[in-house]
Amino acid sequence: MTPIEFLQGLSEMEIIGGLTVLSLLIGGIIMAAGIISAKIAKLIFFKYYAPTLPQDTAKNFGKIIYFGIIVIAFLVFTSSQGIDFSGLLVAGGIFAVVIGFATQSVVSNLISGVFLMIEKPAKHGDTIQIPDMSISGTLLDIGTFSSRVRKFDGTVIRIPNEKFFTSNIRSFTASTVRRAEAMVGIAYKDDIETAIDAIRNEIRLTMPFVLRNPEPEFRVEELGDSSVNIQVLVWHPRDDWSQAQPILLTVIKRALDKSGIEIPFPQRVIWDAKD
Amino acid sequence: MNEYTVDSSYSKYGQYNVDDHLELILPETIVKIERIGEHAFSYFRKDSEGKVIEKMIPTKSNELKIELAPIRPLNHPARRTGYVFLKFDKEIYLSQNSAASIYVHCPIEIGIFLISESHRESLDWITCDPLNSRFGLYGSPDTGTLCKYSEVTLANDYSDSTPYLDGVMKIIVENNLDSGKTVSKVVFSITDNSLYYENSKCILDGIKVTLKKRAVVNIADVQTDPIQTDWKQSPTWETSTSKTTMEMGLE
Repeated sequence: MTPIEFLQGLSEMEIIGGLTVLSLLIGGIIMAAGIISAKIAKLIFFKYYAPTLPQDTAKNFGKIIYFGIIVIAFLVFTSSQGIDFSGLLVAGGIFAVVIGFATQSVVSNLISGVFLMIEKPAKHGDTIQIPDMSISGTLLDIGTFSSRVRKFDGTVIRIPNEKFFTSNIRSFTASTVRRAEAMVGIAYKDDIETAIDAIRNEIRLTMPFVLRNPEPEFRVEELGDSSVNIQVLVWHPRDDWSQAQPILLTVIKRALDKSGIEIPFPQRVIWDAKD
Repeated sequence: MNEYTVDSSYSKYGQYNVDDHLELILPETIVKIERIGEHAFSYFRKDSEGKVIEKMIPTKSNELKIELAPIRPLNHPARRTGYVFLKFDKEIYLSQNSAASIYVHCPIEIGIFLISESHRESLDWITCDPLNSRFGLYGSPDTGTLCKYSEVTLANDYSDSTPYLDGVMKIIVENNLDSGKTVSKVVFSITDNSLYYENSKCILDGIKVTLKKRAVVNIADVQTDPIQTDWKQSPTWETSTSKTTMEMGLE
C-alpha cells in the first residue's frame, strides 16, 4: 500500500458528521504546529522583550501570546475542515447561562485580575499589608485568578483576585523612605532637653541608616502619671526597616543609661490624710 | 572634619605590587594583603568601626597588583542611591542674572581595586569618616530622592582637600532668574563625576547649577562640568546618568 492509498483510506474512514480520520489527523498536525509556534513565540518574548517590562505585565503578555496562537490554530483547523458550529449555538447559549451561574466567582476573580493589572495598586516584589485579612508580606505575582503573597514567615498565601481588589492595600515600598517611631518615658526630675540631646547624639553615632535630612524628631507627647513621655521619630530608607525600627528602643535606652536619665517604673504618691 | 590631621605614615593613593606582603595604613583603618601559597593571597581589613573583612584572592601569577584610589561616596553604610545632597555651611546669595564659582569639600570613600591586564575590579571599599556618611532625603517622602547627605564647607582651591576624607569640587552656580536667589544645597547624580588623585589629595569633576524658571516654578538644572587635570583618574564601576533637575527647592 502506497502512502497515497493509505491517506485515501483514511479520508474514507468517517468518524461522525463528515469528520474523517484524515481531517482529524490534519487537525492534530495544525494544533501541534500551533502549540509549538505558541511555545516558541512565548520563549522569544520572554527572552528578548519581557526583561524590559514589569514582571506581572510580562507574564500576562506571555499568556496572551501563548493562548492567542493556540486559539488561532484551532480556528484554522475548524475552518480548513469546514466544521460548522452553528448547530452548537442554541445549545451553547443555554450552556453559557448554566456555566455563567456556576463560574460567577471565577469570572469575578478574572475581571478583578484585569482591573488589578490596569490599576496596579502594587507590583511584583512590593512589600504590602492587607489589613482586612491580617496579611503582610511580599507580593509575588498578580495572576489571572489569584495573587500570591509571601508572608514574612516564609509561607506563601494565595488570595483570590476579587478579595485582593476589594481590600485596602498598604504599600511599604511606594515611598522612598519610611518612618520608625518609639515612645520613651523619663522621670519628672530629669531635664527633657538633656534627654533629647542624649538620644539624638546616640542615634547620630550608632544608627547609620537614620536620615540626617529630615532630622530625627522629638515630641513631648504626654505628661504621664509616672513619666514625661517623649515620642522619637526617625526616617530611614524604605528597604532598611530592620536597621531602624527594631533597634530604636535599644539605642534610646542606651542613650538614657549613659546620661544617667531615669526611665521610671509606674508609681503612685499616697498622702496620708492625717499629715 | 576640619580638625583632622594627616599622618605622613598613611599610605598614599596609587598602585602597589604585592609579592609577599603589603600593609596599607589609612586613618583608623588597616589593610593587609599576604601571599598564602602558590597563586593565592589573603586580604584583611579592619576599619574605624572595628569591622573586619577577610577574603581569599586566587591569582594567575604569584604577584598581585592593586590600586588604592578615592571613589564616590555611595557605598557606606549600604549602596542605596547614586545621588549626593550637599548642604552648604553658608548660604550663597546670587543676584539676578549673575554667576558664582565656589569650591567645596565633597566627601569621598576609598576603593581598593585589583588590577588585571586590561581592567580594574573592585575588591573592597573603605570610609574613613563613617559618622558623616549618612543618607538624606531631597523632597517629600513619597516622591523625593534618597541621597547620600553631607554638610560641606567651602574650600579655597583644588589643593585644599582633606586626605582620605574629601575631595575638592568646583560648583558653578548661574542664576538666570529675574530675581535674587539664595542657594543652600545642591543635589546631583554623582555617578557622572570622575575623581582624580595625586598622593593623598583628591579632586572631582565639577558641576554647573543653572537656576531657571520652568512655567511658574523655579528649578535648578545640575550638569557635570569635567575638569582638565594631569592628576590620575580613579577607576570606576558605576554607570553614568544624565543631568539632574532640582524641582523641590533650592534653600
